[in-house]
Amino acid sequence: MSSSSIAIRLENITQRFRVIQERPDTLRELFSKFFRHESSYHDFDAVKNASFEVPKGQMLGLIGRNGSGKSTLLKIVAGVYRPTAGTVQVKGSLAPLIELGAGFHHELTGRENILLNGLLMGYSKHEMGEREQRIIEFAEIGDFIDSPVKQYSSGMYMRLAFSVATEIDPDILLLDEILGVGDAPFQQKCFERIRNFRKAGKTILFVSHSMAEVSEHCDRVIFIERGSIMADGHPDEAIEAYRNSCVPEAVAAH
Amino acid sequence: MIEFVRETYRYRELIWALAMKELKIRYKRSVLGFLWALLNPALLMLVLTLVFSKILRFNLPHYAIFLLSVLLPWTFFSQSLSYAVESIVSNGDLIKKVRVAKLVFPVAAVVSNLINLGLSLIPLALLVPIMRHPFYWTWVYLPVPLLALTLFTLGMTFFFATANVYYRDVSHILQIVLSAWFYLTPIIYSLDFIPTKYQWVFKLNPMIYVINGFRLAVYYGMLPKASSIAASFLCGFISLFIGFAIFRKYQDDFVFYV
Repeated sequence: MSSSSIAIRLENITQRFRVIQERPDTLRELFSKFFRHESSYHDFDAVKNASFEVPKGQMLGLIGRNGSGKSTLLKIVAGVYRPTAGTVQVKGSLAPLIELGAGFHHELTGRENILLNGLLMGYSKHEMGEREQRIIEFAEIGDFIDSPVKQYSSGMYMRLAFSVATEIDPDILLLDEILGVGDAPFQQKCFERIRNFRKAGKTILFVSHSMAEVSEHCDRVIFIERGSIMADGHPDEAIEAYRNSCVPEAVAAH
Repeated sequence: MIEFVRETYRYRELIWALAMKELKIRYKRSVLGFLWALLNPALLMLVLTLVFSKILRFNLPHYAIFLLSVLLPWTFFSQSLSYAVESIVSNGDLIKKVRVAKLVFPVAAVVSNLINLGLSLIPLALLVPIMRHPFYWTWVYLPVPLLALTLFTLGMTFFFATANVYYRDVSHILQIVLSAWFYLTPIIYSLDFIPTKYQWVFKLNPMIYVINGFRLAVYYGMLPKASSIAASFLCGFISLFIGFAIFRKYQDDFVFYV
């Protein structure tokens, strides 16, 4: 595959976190730790030596249990984390946010938040002005657009957030377990939009716990466990591997 | 330093939006809203004027103006620091979810307080004729010390915001430092009150050069000496240079500590 058709390339990515049992948050704790010569942390690799490429236009699903490293990978792609080791290459524009509505301020109105959110993601005021009307139309929240978002229901909040994230029209879209909220008609609309994104040849990274959604929409699925890629390929195979790995836990629970 | 200018320019719209957000939220729940930005200093001036013209009498004419000419810039400095020290930590949720240039948060805190300072100069300009203090042409010189003060403040905010990410004690320590610093700086008094043999100690305080121009221009109607102006900008640039260098060195790791 020629390199021009690769949207995302991750090479030997390791993300190490220092897990601190009792983090010395204050100077007093720091001094007491220092004098007792205790090591109060251990290192933990949230992602271990992961490599993969995502071709342009592919919808890649990431599955795995809670804490397996899916969101960490997304954050590395988004540029929120600088990985401990390895290289990340991203070609094309990307909405660098991994949670819808991150950056919304509850005291500001929906309209004010559209602008602030866009600016946070690196778009200009002018660019957001052009998109504002379309964002409001897609969100369908009526007059609430001029109310502070703290008065929104969680569904309305997600509608606006999804609308902002997708209407800014990045080449690469990161979606982290986002479609659980919102009523059925809006979810339909979201998937309709995702299909349009795919038709337009855009790349999507999709983290979900709904195997039905993953197998319906993704071209390819990566299954992650404890920071390592366990399966990478056809959705059915990866989902099968994930299901098999879950069996012992299910049995143990009985 | 060049990187600081470039980044600030690049994110100017975001910085402005964040600063306006801060002001909007500060005055949100009040009936008078934004008017408080003017009323606050005006009422403070009223109190100070009453206290110092009726109760405590100094040998300085129009003491309220003597005081306010540097108290307002000082308030900008201390408020900026108090806001900015928490700016990275309090935006931790955002930093963990969006890739965003970290410098926008402390800079926005300084900008919002700069707007407040600008607004508070309006009631001061009204007070001057009311107290029959001469209104000097040297007011037009104010942007110069304001620039030096802003540079100095930015450097300090970068330093304290960074330190506070790693040790949350910093925001508490800062409050003590600020109140000690307030009394060590000739704000409520004049440097002339200090015995000559101790003056050199006070002259080690960079704040002296940075705020000197405000009092000279507003109260005395004079311009500072060239050496004093040079010293104020030297302090401003050194502060910004060191503060931003430290901030830049650690900014990529903030996300792991907030």
